[in-house]
Amino acid sequence: MQRLDRIFESSARSLAQRTSRRSFIGVLGQILTGSLLIPLLPIDRIQRAEAATGPEGSPAAPGKVPAAAKGKSASKPYTEDQQSCEYWKYCAIDGFLCSCCGGSSHTCPPGTQMSVVSWIGTCHNPADGRDYIVSYNDCCGKASCGNCDCYRNERERPLYRLSRNNDVNWCMANTGSDYHCTVSVILGSAGP
Amino acid sequence: MRTMQAWAALLALVANGGAVASDPLPPEQFGMEPLPARTPHWIYVVDSAFMNEIDSRVRLYDADTHGHLGQIDAGFFPGVTLSPDRNTLAVGTTYFARGGHGERTDVVEFTDTTTLAITGEIVLPPKRAQATPTSFNLGYSSDSHFLYVAYITPAASFGVLDPVSRKVLGEIDTAGCVLVIPWGPDHVSSICDSGRLLTVRLDAHGNEVSRALSDLFFDVDTDPLFVQGIPTDQGCTFLSFLGKVHEVDFSGPEPVIHPPWSLVSSSEAGHWRPGGQQLGAIQRRMGRLYVAMHRGGEGSHKQGGTEIWVFDLGTHRRLARWPVATLKLAPVTAVQVSQDEAPLLFLASDSVASVATLDALTGQLRHLDRNLGQTPWQILNP
Repeated sequence: MQRLDRIFESSARSLAQRTSRRSFIGVLGQILTGSLLIPLLPIDRIQRAEAATGPEGSPAAPGKVPAAAKGKSASKPYTEDQQSCEYWKYCAIDGFLCSCCGGSSHTCPPGTQMSVVSWIGTCHNPADGRDYIVSYNDCCGKASCGNCDCYRNERERPLYRLSRNNDVNWCMANTGSDYHCTVSVILGSAGP
Repeated sequence: MRTMQAWAALLALVANGGAVASDPLPPEQFGMEPLPARTPHWIYVVDSAFMNEIDSRVRLYDADTHGHLGQIDAGFFPGVTLSPDRNTLAVGTTYFARGGHGERTDVVEFTDTTTLAITGEIVLPPKRAQATPTSFNLGYSSDSHFLYVAYITPAASFGVLDPVSRKVLGEIDTAGCVLVIPWGPDHVSSICDSGRLLTVRLDAHGNEVSRALSDLFFDVDTDPLFVQGIPTDQGCTFLSFLGKVHEVDFSGPEPVIHPPWSLVSSSEAGHWRPGGQQLGAIQRRMGRLYVAMHRGGEGSHKQGGTEIWVFDLGTHRRLARWPVATLKLAPVTAVQVSQDEAPLLFLASDSVASVATLDALTGQLRHLDRNLGQTPWQILNP
């Protein structure tokens, strides 16, 4: 994995020297929304770190959803209700669920635009026992939906690790950059 | 007939609430209330208005009188800072031409803090970091010569502005490091994913002269640093997810990062953590650190504090634990303390939108105000 990191770092530096910022945004959007391989790098590093920090940092046990803020209890039985903040795919979300705003867990409401850049998380699906890489895209171009405020931040990281951060407006690179709501899109399985 | 007149007069008197007829009130003079002279017990409360983010506000509040003194509009995902002389409040924000849509304008707006009137603006390129408020979304150089604004597009950089001539002077690429921590007249540090600080030095025209990376001082994988640093006299104090305190001295030619110390004992480690939006504050005169702490694990780093822990910055000893539930307060998402000799502690909550005022020496509740916005995520001293 360190070798992959070096390759990624080298290619990123080369890309930065060769391309403009605008084209960087487009490429980054394609990478984050379409690629399965590259997002594995930060995910793998964080999961290894969590294993080193002990049980508090471990991924959620099957059938349980870790602590969510704003008064939600530390452990709740999992749900298939995609309008519930406890739904497994929402593990690293901080925003309004598009499933409560005219869209679904992975589709934007009518008349909005899906963000061209996004952050990613790794969530455990208790139904099949697998971990999945999830892309969190904001839906953009309309004012805040305001429904189903969902506030979970598992493995979310501060702003300097941008690909894992949800404190920034991910509609930033869209033509209509107002934030409306957030979808969670499965990119692929994080494990074998 | 006389009897009827007497009954009519009596009925009119009763209908009038028994008031004795008197001269009518004089006409009033329509006008504007002047702002009184500021005191150390004023606060600027940044309401990010999360349920309607295009409509953030900064509310000016007097904790002695519990008075709402005025408001400054703050647009969408604002960053807010005060000039070194405290006479100007700068709001970096975004407006859309037609409310929630339309052309995006990024701008810094300047407000005179003695009148709350907007005195000018600088229109920015559409790159401003639209992030939750911290002390480092924008900031002045120590001599007020420059104003720096963090950009994320998502490429990271910062803008260098001239707040006097109201111009954008240039842009400095920060190679993925984020936010602006100004120090001295010409230095800006940013926080990097590598666990270091990047420091850029500028010339008198705002052009880059040199840059340097600090030694590695935190590990984002095992114990990330909160970006909500707390300004101190000498520099800045950062807290980590697991409760480490990293003190950075910006008073010399380059940042000096002191060895970290811990908020938590070995038995508390991993269970009690700092959390929230503005998770700590320092009373510089007394050398006391106030931190919002909660019980929680991975993912709880934005959870509000159920207790305020008070530390002596000289000895690193914990002086007090103040459970906020005993004061009937909701978990605390923003902490600030006044810098005077009779300091007040301000605790904001976003779960029950409110700001509580406490005696910073005893933790005794003085007042709770529920009318300071929906998501008060940052508090600034005047």
